[in-house]
Amino acid sequence: MKTVMEIKGVSVRFGGVQALKDVSLDIEQGQFLSLIGPNGAGKTTLLKVVFGLVKPEAAQIHLAGRDITNLSIHARVRLGLAMTHQIVRPLRSMTILDNVALAVGHRRLRKIFPAVISGNRLLERQRALELLEWVGIADLAGKSVFGRPLGVLKRLEVARAMALEPTILFLDEPLAGLNSIESSRLADTIAAINREGLTVVMIEHNLGEVLRVSRRLVVLDNGIKIGDGDPEAVMHDPTVRAAYVGKEIADAAA
Amino acid sequence: MLYLELLIQGLVYGCMYAVIAVGLTLVYGLLRILHVAHAGLFALGAYLGLLVTNWTGSLSAGLLVSALLVGLAGMLIYRLCYQPILDRPPYVALIASIGLFIAMEEIFRLVFGPYGLTYKAAPLQSKVQFLGTTLRQADVGLVIMAVGLLAALSYLSQKTRIGVGWRATVDDPQMARAFGIDPVKVRYLNFFVGSALAAVAGVFVSLLSNVVEPTMGGVPSYKALAIIVLGGLGDVKGTLIASLVLGVVEAFGTIYIGKLLDRDAIAFALLIVILMIRPQGLFSRR
Amino acid sequence: MGIYEISLATLVSINIISALGLNLITGFCGQISLGHAAFYGIGAYTAALSAKAGLPFAGALLFGMALAGLAGLIVGLTSLRVREDFLAITTMGVGFLFIGVVRQNNFLGGELGISAIPQSGLPKLGFLAVVLILAALTTVFNLWIKKSWMGFAFEAVADDEDTARVLSLDVSAYKLTAFALGTALAGLAGGLYAFFARSISPDNFGFVTSISILSMVAVGGIGSVFGVLISTCLLTLMPEFSQVLSDYKLLVYGALLFGVMRFWPEGLAGLTSGLGRMVKIGGDSRKGEGQ
Repeated sequence: MKTVMEIKGVSVRFGGVQALKDVSLDIEQGQFLSLIGPNGAGKTTLLKVVFGLVKPEAAQIHLAGRDITNLSIHARVRLGLAMTHQIVRPLRSMTILDNVALAVGHRRLRKIFPAVISGNRLLERQRALELLEWVGIADLAGKSVFGRPLGVLKRLEVARAMALEPTILFLDEPLAGLNSIESSRLADTIAAINREGLTVVMIEHNLGEVLRVSRRLVVLDNGIKIGDGDPEAVMHDPTVRAAYVGKEIADAAA
Repeated sequence: MLYLELLIQGLVYGCMYAVIAVGLTLVYGLLRILHVAHAGLFALGAYLGLLVTNWTGSLSAGLLVSALLVGLAGMLIYRLCYQPILDRPPYVALIASIGLFIAMEEIFRLVFGPYGLTYKAAPLQSKVQFLGTTLRQADVGLVIMAVGLLAALSYLSQKTRIGVGWRATVDDPQMARAFGIDPVKVRYLNFFVGSALAAVAGVFVSLLSNVVEPTMGGVPSYKALAIIVLGGLGDVKGTLIASLVLGVVEAFGTIYIGKLLDRDAIAFALLIVILMIRPQGLFSRR
Repeated sequence: MGIYEISLATLVSINIISALGLNLITGFCGQISLGHAAFYGIGAYTAALSAKAGLPFAGALLFGMALAGLAGLIVGLTSLRVREDFLAITTMGVGFLFIGVVRQNNFLGGELGISAIPQSGLPKLGFLAVVLILAALTTVFNLWIKKSWMGFAFEAVADDEDTARVLSLDVSAYKLTAFALGTALAGLAGGLYAFFARSISPDNFGFVTSISILSMVAVGGIGSVFGVLISTCLLTLMPEFSQVLSDYKLLVYGALLFGVMRFWPEGLAGLTSGLGRMVKIGGDSRKGEGQ
């Protein structure tokens, strides 16, 4: 299997806290990888380092053999990465449809001059509608983002990310806020595009869905990687169980 | 001895800037608002101080009444102007504040006249010798007041319950609320203290030039805005240092760059140069 | 149309060009600029000096526009490095810096400014026609940008920069473009003003002028082209309507700025349904913190 992304030695420090310590990960083409771990383990931080939203103490990131460690955020995205946010960030000045249409038109937005002279959004809005249907929120297309339930906004994030036509899709807790039917459906949708060839990396807490759809599990705890491999095997690993159980006991005591 | 004289002059002005800028940085630290109307409170303080001093013959009375009334005015501005628009994008508060300031300046002009008011018998005018430089008592008074007030502020914020609660609210409002600290009370206190400081600064500045005129708040406050950016928005210590640095740079700068740039623009030239090198400001916590 | 009315109309049109330029920067792209008068001034001084040096009307205007746009590009570069709040103060600083430099340098006219600026070569009515056409073109240009993909990008940048980046937008390039375009427009307005007034001084381009232009944008509704058109007309003509009002001009400006932001932040555009855009609710960290 071809390696699409190599993440080596990521360390991140926030003030006095070591959020990530020497985390390495290779992502294979076409994989469905789930990144799990207790809250505060550093999963979202790792995602942010990959995209350049957070500056690490140390890191080496290669995409399809190319070193992207020092590239700007948008340059990395243009090379084929897309992400959804754990804390949703819809563009509030636009409708739900336009949020996605903007991303659909990403090629038009690459250079200033073409962007000035093109005035037509029809094609992009049509494609955006298709994407909204695909995640199940097409009925809200023309509406504003205010007051929408979390489940809707999460799915907007997914549609928007897909609109960028990425080669690797990173999802940060896409199922949070969805009821069991919606989460199953979304997980299935994501699994389907994965089967068509899209590499998917998903951060999730919903272990039921995670175990159902992923083929590889990576576990982080307190900034360190403590598990990596076949989902069943990883879940039986004593270190991994301890991390989760320990968390539960600590939470119960608090 | 020219250098020493410039240095001392610079430090005196630096103290004045410090007292104004601290009020601004306090508001910013708490609410992320650039409180331009602070400039109007500075001028209001000068007017009230002058009026009371002229009426009672006592500078202390002038200072006290001015500080109190302007402190209250500051709280009023928070309540009427800022509190209702906290959830709007930041430019709304900024422009509202600018509008308020301009209106205040104009009201001063219309009520008190465009040529300003003067002291009947300006206090603290006699000369004092210090390290070979001639200063007026007002200059010395300004420094003493500045140091005294800021030291008191520091003590209050470190050692008293109110002060600690105040700092907690700035650092982490959710946590502070969880500990039972009322953020609204903290804000009122914040505005009271900052505005009172501005009033005191205003009175002393009016003593330096023996005039209070409607536009006096503008230039020092614009510079104060530059200072709080340099000092790291919200960081009081940084603001103090930046104020003194600016005072000194201005004093020396007028001599060396005076050909290119007039004195008041030096603050902004400094600001832009420094922001280019260090976009977070000289000292920043964030 | 008498000379007085022609003058007024010319002034209104010049202000429209300048205000729409600021609207582009602040309204479309969300970058706060408190120093717009500096670019207006750069355009004016450049046009004035080049006209005195022999350049014809059109050439002087273009030169002024180009220099203002270039200055805007440089200031835009600073906007890339600093946070939003810093930007407001930095642009204010640029405004003061401009005045400071102009005041001290005699070849720029010093305190007294530049007078005896050559004629444009057009009669008063002809000049008005030119200015009106330019104002109309500016309006069309702004409306076009709003509709275009660049305008779409600007909206995203104004809304949430980090998200815009994650959606593949080169945010820096767009911000710089907004600055360059908006300041070039200010420069054009400045050049026109120089030929209109025939003499200019630093006082015409200070902080108060920056705030006046900003109030035209704010009252009109930040981002709304039509709103800004209307408010610019109102605010420019207002002091002319009565002598009394003229004396209180600044007070009314201040009160208006304060009042609009405090009670109707969407400006005129918000009062008429269908025009203008929704005011973004930002600053969640401050929301609901005790009432």
